[in-house]
Amino acid sequence: MRWPGSSAPCVAEHRPHAVVRHVVVFGRVLREGGLEVGPQRVSDALRALDSVELARQEDVYWALRQTLVSRRDDLDTFDRAFAAWFLRVSDRPPEREADEPRRPGARRKGGAPGPGPELDGGELEVGAWSADELLRTRDFAAMSPAELARARVLIRQIALARPLRRTHRLRRDRRRGALDVRALVRSSLSTGGDPVHRAYRSRSSAPRKLVLLLDISGSMEPYARALLLYLHAARGSGRGVETFAFGTRLTRLTSELGLRDSDEALAAAARRVVDWSGGTRIGESLKAYNDEWGRRALTRGAVVVILSDGCERGDATGIATEMARLAHQAFAVVWVNPLKGHPDYQPLAGGMRAAFPYVDRLLSGHDIASLERLGTVIGGIERRHAA
Amino acid sequence: MRDVAFASIDELDSALAQASYLADRGLATALYLSLKLEKPLLLEGEAGVGKTEAAKAIAAAAGSPLIRLQCYEGLDIAHAVYEWNYARQLLHIRAAQAGTVDEAELFGPEFLIRRPVLEAIESEQRVLLLIDEIDRADEEFEAFLLEVLSDFQVTVPELGTISAKQRPYVILTSNRTRELHDALKRRCLYHWIGHPSVEREIEIVELRVPGVPQRLAEQAARFAAELRSLDLQKPPGLAETIDWVRALTALGQQELDVENVQATLGSLLKYHEDLLAIRDDALAGLVGTVRG
Repeated sequence: MRWPGSSAPCVAEHRPHAVVRHVVVFGRVLREGGLEVGPQRVSDALRALDSVELARQEDVYWALRQTLVSRRDDLDTFDRAFAAWFLRVSDRPPEREADEPRRPGARRKGGAPGPGPELDGGELEVGAWSADELLRTRDFAAMSPAELARARVLIRQIALARPLRRTHRLRRDRRRGALDVRALVRSSLSTGGDPVHRAYRSRSSAPRKLVLLLDISGSMEPYARALLLYLHAARGSGRGVETFAFGTRLTRLTSELGLRDSDEALAAAARRVVDWSGGTRIGESLKAYNDEWGRRALTRGAVVVILSDGCERGDATGIATEMARLAHQAFAVVWVNPLKGHPDYQPLAGGMRAAFPYVDRLLSGHDIASLERLGTVIGGIERRHAA
Repeated sequence: MRDVAFASIDELDSALAQASYLADRGLATALYLSLKLEKPLLLEGEAGVGKTEAAKAIAAAAGSPLIRLQCYEGLDIAHAVYEWNYARQLLHIRAAQAGTVDEAELFGPEFLIRRPVLEAIESEQRVLLLIDEIDRADEEFEAFLLEVLSDFQVTVPELGTISAKQRPYVILTSNRTRELHDALKRRCLYHWIGHPSVEREIEIVELRVPGVPQRLAEQAARFAAELRSLDLQKPPGLAETIDWVRALTALGQQELDVENVQATLGSLLKYHEDLLAIRDDALAGLVGTVRG
């Protein structure tokens, strides 16, 4: 989706050619940095520059920033690009590893487990239902690349139910609810103002918000790819789904996983996340979530699902504090732990033990069957802890 | 309102200052460009940094009436755009002789209740439409808003399409509880408002709280800045600082001390956990720091 720079319709004749070229190329620099900068924005930027004094660097900065950026997360990228492009600062950020073209057949250790060659085996001829049935209860960690490729198709099909909340909005209802005066007036026209036919409106329901937090640290590596696919499927299930990944830091993946094509979505997510298969700091990641997103009421009334093995390198008391904050605001908290799939599992890992009191449901997530079950559980979950 | 409200960013800046609002250069530029380019301005920032105040101040500075639409979950057309006055319609039918009321009469302009969006579009003079906390509204409403913001016209099925006589200026605010739709953002200029610098905060406090002792304003602004550097659940915004200084001034305090901070801290910190974290030694330490 490239757009022609020099022949863009926004290029007006009377503008100094150098300014136009600067802005057009700068727009392209930002696009490479991951910002969504289309012709409309570049055109706005040029109009904005017409309105400010070009000699005042500060004004130029604000005019460009306000027209070319529309997300807070992109401000850092913009600042770096602005410094590099207009202030001629040479320290351009190092190219991210994930951007490098990956050699086919080789997956670096600790590299981003995106849709690498292991998953890219093409569509396999696994038609038999019995094979799929077997696959449903096979541990993700034990799957061969071919099986994972098939599992991926199955995960995509998992339906995800969500509990409902009552909305404020009224919809037409045949029997009960508040009188629909609008409809009443209309029908009264034919009866000389006598309300003979009564219509009602009542509150309807909408799905609750759903927040998914996926642990992508080293110990979760065997499950991370499959669960990320699950996050992608969940993200595509409707509105009000937010997705995050965390290892040593928290990364919001909602817009990346919003891409319809799962290959593209996973590749975008892999580029975004910088701490694949590293250490775990569950407490700090939850804190980052609570500070940044919980404070802005994302958690309020939502079903929060944490997918993690609960193996914490740091201090487990932090987890308890942050889980308490989370549980306090959320409608319900579900913890999905792939280790629970093992018959002799006990929630003994420090982090898991600290989190346990605040979790409404603890489920396994090691195979497709358990993910299917997760969907059912989320759909029927009720609020356990007091509001 | 004049056609081009302000000739330069500096002119807008001083007009804002006269309306008791001190904007930094970035915000002044954003407001200026929004008026000049006739594009809606989307303001984002933490709670209490003065997003709504900015809209009120620019309306006052430009001499435009402010029409405010507060968004909330479930906000619908009936509350944002228009609604029919059903009670009046019913009375009208009863009062008229049977068979003499036809639909066109009943759904005429005199039975229409104008809500903020329609009011802004129908206004004879140029108004400032403030769409506050758009992130709280449903996505369906956002899509509807997109339509309004591109054409500035509203269709009432019974009356037809009503177009704006004067394109209103539009400011949207969001607390980022969710990401807004890209299509909506593409129509807007975007500005992120951060917490003000200590110097700026002192100036603002002195402007907004008349009669505040200078030492008190300085110490309070530094205290708020210290709190923001700590790890709190909800660091105080500018609005909280102003409330706090108002409280201290009303109590006749000349500067901060441990007792008066303890007694009034509730207007600065709104979470029980935060109040627990800032007490005794921690509080005394902070008071000591800002008293320098």
